[in-house]
Amino acid sequence: MWIELAHFATIIALLLALLQIATPIIGVGIQRPVWIRVARQSSYVVTLLLTLASAGLVVSFLNHDFSVKYVAEHASRSLPTFYLVTALWGGHEGSLLFWAWLLSLFTTIAVWRHWSTHASSIPWILSVLGTVISGFLILVLFLSSPFERLTNPPFDGRDLNPLLQDPGMVFHPPFLYIGYVGFAIPFAFAIAALINGRITDEWILATRRWTLFSWAMLTTGIIFGAYWAYYELGWGGYWAWDPVENASFMPWLIATAFFHSVMVQERRRMFKIWNLFLIITTFALSLLGTFLVRSGVLSSVHAFASDPGRGVYILIFMAIILLFSFGLLVLRADRLRTEVQLESLFSLEAAFLFNNLFFIIAGLTVLLGTLYPLAVETLSSAKVTVGAPYYNKVFVPIMLGVLILMGLGPLLTWRGINESRLRSSLVKPLGVSVMGMAGCYLLGIVQPYAIIMVGLSFFALTAHLTDLGRGIARRMANAKEGILTATVTLLTRNKRRYGGFVVHFGILMMAAGFVGSGLFQEEKNLIMAPGDFTTIHHWRLTFEKIATVKGSNWEAQEAIIRVEGPQGLTMTLHPQKRDYQNQQMPTTEAAIFSGFFEDLYVVLGDAVTDNTWAFRIYRNPLVSWIWGGSGVMALGVFLSLLQGRRREVSRQ
Amino acid sequence: MQANRRLFLILTLLVVFGSLGALIWTSFTGSLVYFHTPTEILATGTSKAGQKVRIGGMVQAGSLVKEAGTQKIRFIISDGANQLPVRYEGMTPDLFREGQGVVAEGPWQPGQDFMAATILAKHSEDYIPVEMSAEGIARSKESMLRSLQ
Repeated sequence: MWIELAHFATIIALLLALLQIATPIIGVGIQRPVWIRVARQSSYVVTLLLTLASAGLVVSFLNHDFSVKYVAEHASRSLPTFYLVTALWGGHEGSLLFWAWLLSLFTTIAVWRHWSTHASSIPWILSVLGTVISGFLILVLFLSSPFERLTNPPFDGRDLNPLLQDPGMVFHPPFLYIGYVGFAIPFAFAIAALINGRITDEWILATRRWTLFSWAMLTTGIIFGAYWAYYELGWGGYWAWDPVENASFMPWLIATAFFHSVMVQERRRMFKIWNLFLIITTFALSLLGTFLVRSGVLSSVHAFASDPGRGVYILIFMAIILLFSFGLLVLRADRLRTEVQLESLFSLEAAFLFNNLFFIIAGLTVLLGTLYPLAVETLSSAKVTVGAPYYNKVFVPIMLGVLILMGLGPLLTWRGINESRLRSSLVKPLGVSVMGMAGCYLLGIVQPYAIIMVGLSFFALTAHLTDLGRGIARRMANAKEGILTATVTLLTRNKRRYGGFVVHFGILMMAAGFVGSGLFQEEKNLIMAPGDFTTIHHWRLTFEKIATVKGSNWEAQEAIIRVEGPQGLTMTLHPQKRDYQNQQMPTTEAAIFSGFFEDLYVVLGDAVTDNTWAFRIYRNPLVSWIWGGSGVMALGVFLSLLQGRRREVSRQ
Repeated sequence: MQANRRLFLILTLLVVFGSLGALIWTSFTGSLVYFHTPTEILATGTSKAGQKVRIGGMVQAGSLVKEAGTQKIRFIISDGANQLPVRYEGMTPDLFREGQGVVAEGPWQPGQDFMAATILAKHSEDYIPVEMSAEGIARSKESMLRSLQ
């Protein structure tokens, strides 16, 4: 029953979404605002209907309605309730519905917030977003329906893939989707501006918070994925340059370029075409990301071809959106010429230009590595993969370049800085940087990349802290405030600038984590019998025994390992090998101790003889700094989001 | 002065991004790993000697041998028509077993057992390496059946 209701709601939602495309165009054409209000009401009702549809699917999961194909394939009677709810986005069909629902929700919020402030853009925003929603709903209804019934319902479902039964994986897709979908709003504003022909900076000011919010969500989603890979997959790492990971990383890179370069447009009226190009590309890559992961094309282009309807539809949908957006951009390009020229290499504009080029090249690098194998397989029958060394080799210098720019940022000014002033402000950061590198060397770190990364991180950190310190000192002298009040007022006076600083601090923490875990990981493979011990760095691990434990839908062998660490630290780790009843798939559950400076990561392997087991042990330095750094980044974005629009406008 | 600055800017851009481009190109071509079935790789003769390759097929039933007391294993990857003996030392992925699809990665040395550095298995619900796709496995099963007849 519920599933038919959901199905019906989705059909009506599609009809209303089509109405939402057409009526604003008519309304603008015949100058009758009532038509635009019709579109607004439709968009509200679409949201309600899609909420109902998603709820219907969730209820079917909760009712264990295995006559619904999607439910039978992604749940079972023993699946915990929590995963029954989140199985909504556990597979291809459901996640597309979830995507469409999120987009309708964001459309409603955008229309409700910007209705009176952006009256001339609203019709086009409604049309554009209606088009994207319709595109997804057609896919959901006709080509990959989660509402399909089975004629012979099984007694029990196939269960959710055990690897996905993990909180990290549960929150990974929705955050990614909120990020992807969020970029639809600035995209719609940009298209509206292009259609209107009144291309001012209005769309950028209006969508600043949308962009930041979406970027933060996308970042969080990617981090959740990395966290899941680290805790669940048991190979000791968190990022493998897998095509699925790359698919979410590409829009992130371009979005990062975008919200740096919009600052140049706001302050200097430059990069207008460029910014439109970036937001269109970001949204296109968001769509590409969703489709690449969800269409099965990554496992094989033949899988794509074996379901020609879906594949061709996705290609056509993407082609329409891309041709329309970029075509419009080309048509309007003459209105977007900048009168302003770049004046100096030592200016913020130039720094942002370099920043953008670095991020674009990073994006192209990932795009090449992700799509090249698909192209090869399509054109010849050869199959090829692009190994992680490619990405690592290219990304290290890009990361170094970005760190240099990050450090220069607070030192530079718009329109260029006097070279002698720049030289004097470079002294302190460079001094600290050299001291940091020397310190590293004295501590016994000899890898050149590690030393350079440390040096540049200290350079960027000092540049930011000096700037903050100078601001605080000025407040203390001028407003006669204490150091704490001065800090707080400074941070809250210019939330946007200092929010950015905090985000940069988070990035620096993460960079430390990448260097630590990437260059200084220690690994040990060995076979132990109960009673045996081994050491890795300053840890001593004693394998005590093997025990059997049971969960609600799994049974596991568990090794009990006593660990003695530095400073008398002792604990017990329990790495497991689990068997899930409904799926014939064993999984490895690594046991991880996460400390401030390092992680101890223990994986239990198969029994080698009756009384010995294989183990793999890693010591991963600074991994928690990656998770911590992402938290700091989130704080920074939050601070920056607090700054409303009025201030920005009044400041100019 | 203005012209000088522009030139300086353009030169900087060229140097920085030209070298990045060169880096991308060289590391890209060096990181490509081609996938072959046993039949394909055996047909290459010595032309691929020393290159890193991926070999995919089925773990032939009855071929998996574990060396007692170690993590060393030997097995045969079969695509039905041809077989390739493989050696590996270390933990195998959760899904590795006889009769299942497998992909082994390592340097190709013609005429010797394939020394796998990595063994791959299914990754998640929606994404699996190319060679592990249902279609790939079906193809090798199909050719295996053909050879049995």
